[in-house]
Amino acid sequence: MNTANFLSIPGSMFPEQEILVFEGTRLTYGDVLERVRRLASSLRQLGVQPGDRVAALQTNSHQYIEAYYATATLGATFVPLNYRAKLPELEYMVTAASVKVLFVGARYADSVRQLRPKFPSVQHYIAMESRQPDMLYYEDLVASGSPDIEDAEVDEGDVSILMYTSGTTSLPKGVMLTYGDFTNYVVGTVEMADGTPRGVSLLCAPLYHIAGTANIMTALWAGRKIVVLRQFDPKEWLETVQKEQVTHAFVVPTMMKQLIDHPDFSRYDLSSLQNLSYGGAPMPFPVIRKAIEMFPKTTGFVNAFGQTETTSTLTVLGPEDHRLDGPPEEVERNLKRLTSVGKPLPDVEVRVLDEENRDLPPNEIGEIVIRTPRVMKGYAGQESATAALLDPDGWLHTRDMGYVDEDGYIYLVGRKDDIIIRGGENIAPAEIEAVLHAHPAVDEAAVIGVPDVDWGQKIAAFVALRPGQSTTAEELIEFCRQRLASFKKPELIRFVDALPKNPLGKILKKELRAQFTE
Amino acid sequence: MPQLGKRYFCEECGTEVLCNKPGSGELHCCEKNMQLKEAKPLPSSD
Repeated sequence: MNTANFLSIPGSMFPEQEILVFEGTRLTYGDVLERVRRLASSLRQLGVQPGDRVAALQTNSHQYIEAYYATATLGATFVPLNYRAKLPELEYMVTAASVKVLFVGARYADSVRQLRPKFPSVQHYIAMESRQPDMLYYEDLVASGSPDIEDAEVDEGDVSILMYTSGTTSLPKGVMLTYGDFTNYVVGTVEMADGTPRGVSLLCAPLYHIAGTANIMTALWAGRKIVVLRQFDPKEWLETVQKEQVTHAFVVPTMMKQLIDHPDFSRYDLSSLQNLSYGGAPMPFPVIRKAIEMFPKTTGFVNAFGQTETTSTLTVLGPEDHRLDGPPEEVERNLKRLTSVGKPLPDVEVRVLDEENRDLPPNEIGEIVIRTPRVMKGYAGQESATAALLDPDGWLHTRDMGYVDEDGYIYLVGRKDDIIIRGGENIAPAEIEAVLHAHPAVDEAAVIGVPDVDWGQKIAAFVALRPGQSTTAEELIEFCRQRLASFKKPELIRFVDALPKNPLGKILKKELRAQFTE
Repeated sequence: MPQLGKRYFCEECGTEVLCNKPGSGELHCCEKNMQLKEAKPLPSSD
């Protein structure tokens, strides 16, 4: 099924239903469908063919969502770019993906101008919010396009979204998610709209994350109105829940903490909120426990664990496991389960394997390995990286270490390859280490994630200097800040004489981590 | 009679169809009635 059908079928049946709200703009299914089709017609006029890559560099907006559906209408591939990425990272993603058309938000127009000479594949730049002298203008394309266009026929294996995620190597990996992957996820987890009210979903996760994309696709198919926040802001989130009577929302742990720490939290009426999901990173226990106390008793909490590579959610810990107001034995059991990511969804098989790929019994820690009909097609242009994780019979090695208890609940204990997850952002230590190694005074460097109550993890670097050289922690942090997205810069620097290594010279990060847990 | 927005599948060959306009007919595949396939609602926002 073409994911454009998730808009066009309910959109044709219930054109009067309000479905999308962004700042001052309120759109019905009919409005969105018409704008999407007009934009798709214009993109086709510009030469976009099935399989072509169409990218966007912009914060959340209704236009962003329309741009995805217009791309899907043509059977092309959408590439949502991380707007926090630095110029070299953007250059890599746009060139590796051979992007043909690039949608550009106003605040990114200057960055894109700097990079234009390095983007030989990009044929058209489309300004999304305001006119730019050297770009096409989004609203002109919507106005000039024809609404008479049909959703393209696609194969289940055609790539619908190429989503870049931090990997263990220093460069981002392009996860190829197919039209079939999204179809399996969407039609398998929600019923189609039927014209009756299906609630209001608040989108604050960025659309370059799988959580944001999955939220949009299911809500549009189910007829659940989507209220879009440009970016997360705790005060705006609280105001919007109250004003728009939001029933469903998803936050990462860092957002949850900012919400419950907000001084005006108790002044807002959040009683409409039926379902508050969280995921994207390990949730600090004190944060979820406090959140359960502070949100209305009628709010059901859901811990959703998934990956970009699995087209979103794999396991959920549902509202009943978050209840802390029952008999003491139930409270005790649930307090432990709050550290779990719950049980697999019906279309997900889970195994826990040791280093030799042998199944482990309950309560023994190994790598979480999963199979589902919506596992990615692979990493674009990286066959060996794909083969390292994805077995020929469809089992995906998640690189997450964990165990399953005797009741079938899954607990995660860390990343097999030391990925740092800070506020929901995956950060590869190797990328930061590479920058530190480029500093003239640095002899060797190792980067790890250390526990942090605000961000889940923060970034610490251990640095040994070259003999006779000197520098400061501040200088090294600034050196990284200039070369990486700001959320990737180290926050702690510890100078050491030498890094601990095994006999083969491999740095023993376990020993470094121990210094922070002692 | 097929229902709006519901999926039906064939137990024999695995074909799945989606009803976007219901009528009074019956759905058949491989000489058998097609079966209703229900979504398993996810208790989350997405």
